[in-house]
Formats: sequence, structure tokens, C-alpha cells
Amino acid sequence: MISTHGLTRAFDGVPAVEDVSFDVPAGTLFALLGPNGAGKTTTVRMLMGLIGPSAGGATVAGYRIGAGAEAGRLLRRACGLLTEAPGFYDRMSAGDNLRFFGRLYGLPERTLRQQIEHFLRLLELWDRRDAAVGTFSKGMKQRLAIIRALFHDPKVVFLDEPTAGLDPEAALEVRELIARLKTEGRTILVCTHNLDEAERLADAVGILRRRLLVCDSLERLRAGPGGDGRLTVRCVLTEPAALLAAALATGPPTPALIEVRAVDTTLTARCRPDDVPGLVAWLVGRGAGIREVRTETNTLESIYLRAVRGEH
Amino acid sequence: MGTLWLFLAREWADTRRNSRVLPLFLIMPIIMIALPLLLALLAPALVPAPHVRQDPSTLAILHTLSRIPEFAAWPPAEGLARYLLRATLGVFLLMPIAMASTAAAFSIVGEKQQHTLEPILATPITDRQLLLGKLAACSVPTILVTVAAGLIAIIGVDIVFATRSLSVPLPDRFWALTLLVLAPALTIAVALVTMRLSARSSDPQATVQTSALAILPAFLLIVALLGPMLAVSFPGTCAACVVVLLIDVALFRMNVVRFRREEILTTWK
Repeated sequence: MISTHGLTRAFDGVPAVEDVSFDVPAGTLFALLGPNGAGKTTTVRMLMGLIGPSAGGATVAGYRIGAGAEAGRLLRRACGLLTEAPGFYDRMSAGDNLRFFGRLYGLPERTLRQQIEHFLRLLELWDRRDAAVGTFSKGMKQRLAIIRALFHDPKVVFLDEPTAGLDPEAALEVRELIARLKTEGRTILVCTHNLDEAERLADAVGILRRRLLVCDSLERLRAGPGGDGRLTVRCVLTEPAALLAAALATGPPTPALIEVRAVDTTLTARCRPDDVPGLVAWLVGRGAGIREVRTETNTLESIYLRAVRGEH
Repeated sequence: MGTLWLFLAREWADTRRNSRVLPLFLIMPIIMIALPLLLALLAPALVPAPHVRQDPSTLAILHTLSRIPEFAAWPPAEGLARYLLRATLGVFLLMPIAMASTAAAFSIVGEKQQHTLEPILATPITDRQLLLGKLAACSVPTILVTVAAGLIAIIGVDIVFATRSLSVPLPDRFWALTLLVLAPALTIAVALVTMRLSARSSDPQATVQTSALAILPAFLLIVALLGPMLAVSFPGTCAACVVVLLIDVALFRMNVVRFRREEILTTWK
């Protein structure tokens, strides 16, 4: 649904985005992560056809960016954009604001009325439909901006920092809405600083710092650089792990157990997720008292930090 | 057409609550109506009394009017009143310029300031539609207010003349052409120039000031040059209409060609 190849954009000769290539299949959520000034918003603007690339190209919802005015119009009609700042006419009511933008999308009046009511009720703003947007909290404005990005039923949705500056409750509501959008089969690209948000929502992640440093599915990224799909398992024992030394020397029977290190009361192993119960059963069978079993994967935070620090 | 009305309605809804623009739309029409009405009411005082007849400037004006068939056909006092009424048409050119330039100053930069420009540009709207919508929003209210004020002034002046058993002077072809063509055309020209400034600016106040310092004096000069001709030469007034309309078309095309979405989006913080 979104496919970029060598997407590059320079401003006054200084590259803001360089050689970015990724694919986002239909119905998936792609999180574009990166520090401030990494080029996330520039990338989204290029994908929306709002600014042109200096080199490379992209296809979004079947439309090639920069392929002329009419293709640009069709591309924008097929996409929804949540901008970094919500941007509404403060003196006008929520309903009037949405009607204005809905008409710019060319929605028929009846559809527009139905969509506005549907989304305002869904996001619990129906009771405030006649209130001036200037009286809204930041969270309410953000919800209203999400409605604006969605009410023309776009195939592709770009969300630039959807939860930035929201209180935890409002952020949770927005995240739940994004999750719901995913289940509706929309293709979503989210730019965010919020790693936790990306980890909860994304199918795939791209880490951008002018160039795309990392780009893969969350599953593969979590599996680690080797991509062997193994987890780190930490077993906290009731007695020093060294007491199991003899048993460990013979090695556990499971072929999944790659490495066992016994330090104090903690025993660390690497194995496939399906082999964790077998490992625990083997330890118990050797007389080990187990207080706690913890599985650890590569966290998005560690992946992100390694990438932006150039350790990847 | 739909986009045009859409912007018009939205902008008007916003203008009604804009404390910086609304007063202009209330005060200017009052001036436009009051001036010709005052002249009509003061007409008897304009009848040259024996002591006024000695005033060289009045004598010079009367002498000039006596050589213009249109005014020479009337008794001197009435001819002078009709000439002065014609001269007030300048007000119907000046006031719309002030109103349109103030409204247009907010047109693009106002959207930037409210962060609404990017969401608008993200819709399927074209540059031409956007600029046409904005132009309509800046100029149509001004034109409507000007025409309405003109109609009220015409009715008022005619009532005053009729109560004195004089033949009603308005509307004449000069008033009709000025109110319906020249003033709207000039309003559009001012709006287009100010919109161009607004698109390049990052502060509405700066745009208003630039407009007041650069655009208004230029247009005032044009009106001052047009003024004497408007009062006496109908072909000259027609020619002025054609020229200003051509300028409108050229300015609109230039605005569309020079409207840079990228520049506006990437240079505005």
C-alpha cells in the first residue's frame, strides 16, 4: 500500500531525508521512529504529495507521488493526515470545522453528516459539537483532528505524533482508536517518539535519522540481530545456581537450550519460546526450586537506542 | 464554485468574530453612505450666494462645469451638487481598498498561524481552487458591502432631492459602472496583491503594515489619478474598468503560478 524507494529530500542542499526505502503492506501499521529533526514529518509530507522528493520516489494507495496535479489530488483523497499541530478554526464550532474540511474532500452532504455524527459519538465529542474549538482541551482537539483524518474513509492514514502532549488517559483513548483503525483494515503510518506506543501498535518499525537505520517487523527486531527467534530466560532459583552445576554439566536434554550461565541464584538461558516450559520442567526434575521465571526479548527501546547511537 | 462558497462562508463566519476586521466592515459603509447624503443635505448651502459668488475657487469650478455639457444643462447650484456627488464616487473606491487589504492580509498567513493550512493542503483541493476561494472570501463581502452602501446612498440622495422637488440625480451611468464594475475590480486587485504578501509573510500584523505602507498608497494614487476622470469622462471610466479587470486576471494567474505549497509548508514554523 505504501512503497518508497530511495526517497530523498534536501533543503538548500542539506539532506533532510536520504535514500529511504520501505514497504508497508495493506492493513498493517508501520511506526516511523526517530529523534526530533530526523525527517519523519518531511517523509510523511512527501508521501502525502505535499512536498516533492529531490530524488527517489514512492507509491501510496496506488498513486505515484509527484505524478502530476490530478494524481496528487487522487492521492490526497485516498489518504488521511493527522498533522503534528491539530489546526482548527478556534472561533468556529467542532461541527462547523468538520463540515468545512469534509466539503473540501468533496463528501456528499448526507455522508458528511453521518460520518461527523458517527465519529463525534465514537470519540465522545458529540455533546460538544456546537462548542467553539477554542474552548477544547488539547486532547479534544487531537481527537477532532483524528476525525478529520478519517471521516472521508481513507485507505491510508498518516498520523504524525498522535499522542504528543496528551495526558495519559487521552493518549490511551487515541491508542485504542488507532488499534481499532488497524482492525478495520486501514494502512497506517505513525510517526512517534513514543516507543511504548509503537511497540503496542506497530506491525513493523522504521527508525529514521535522515536515513532509515532500521526497518523490519517488530517480531524480527525483537528476535535480535541473529534473528534466531530465541528468548533470554532468567530463572530465579531458591538456592545458588551453582548447586545445579553437576546437573548442568550434563546439559539439559532439550536441544533448544543453547547457553546456561549460573550466577548466584539466577540461571540464564537462551531458548525458543516453545521450549520454556520444557526447560522449567527439566530444572524442577533436577531438584531446582524455582522462585520466578522471566522471559526477555529485545525491547524496542534497546533496538532504538542502539540504532540512533550507531551501534546497530 | 462549491469551494468558492465554502471558503466564503467559512471566512465570513470567522470574520464576524474577528475584532480586527469586523469594525472595518461596520465603519466603512457608514462613511460611504454618509458622505453623499451629507452633500445632498447641504446642497442648498452650496447654492452660490452673492458673497460666495465672489470666491475665486467656486467661480473657477462653476466656470469649468459650465463648459461640461452634462453639468452645464443644470442651474449652477444643481450642477455643482451633481458634480460633487459624482466626485464622492472616489470614496466608493477608497473604502473597499482598505477593507479588502485588511481582510486579505489574514487570508494565508492567518491559516498558517492557526495551523490550518497543512490540513487544507492535505485535502484534494487545487491551488487554483484554494486561491479562488480565498479571493472570494476576501473580496465578496467587501464588494457586497460597497454595493449595498452605494444603493442606500443612492436611495437617500434621491429622497433628499425629491423632497426638494428636484429631479433625482442617481443612479447615473457613472455610479452604476463604478459600483458594479470598477470598485469590485479594484477590490479584487487589492485583495490579490495583499494575498500574495500574505502567502510570503509569517505575521498577519506585518502583512497589514506592509499593505498599509506599500499597497494602499499605490492604490490611493491610482484612485487620485482616476478621480477627476471618473467625474467627467464616461469612456475614460469604461477604459479604467477594462484595465483594472485585465490587471485582476494577470494578478490571479501570477498568484496561482507563484503559489508554492512546499515553500509555505517548509519555511513556516
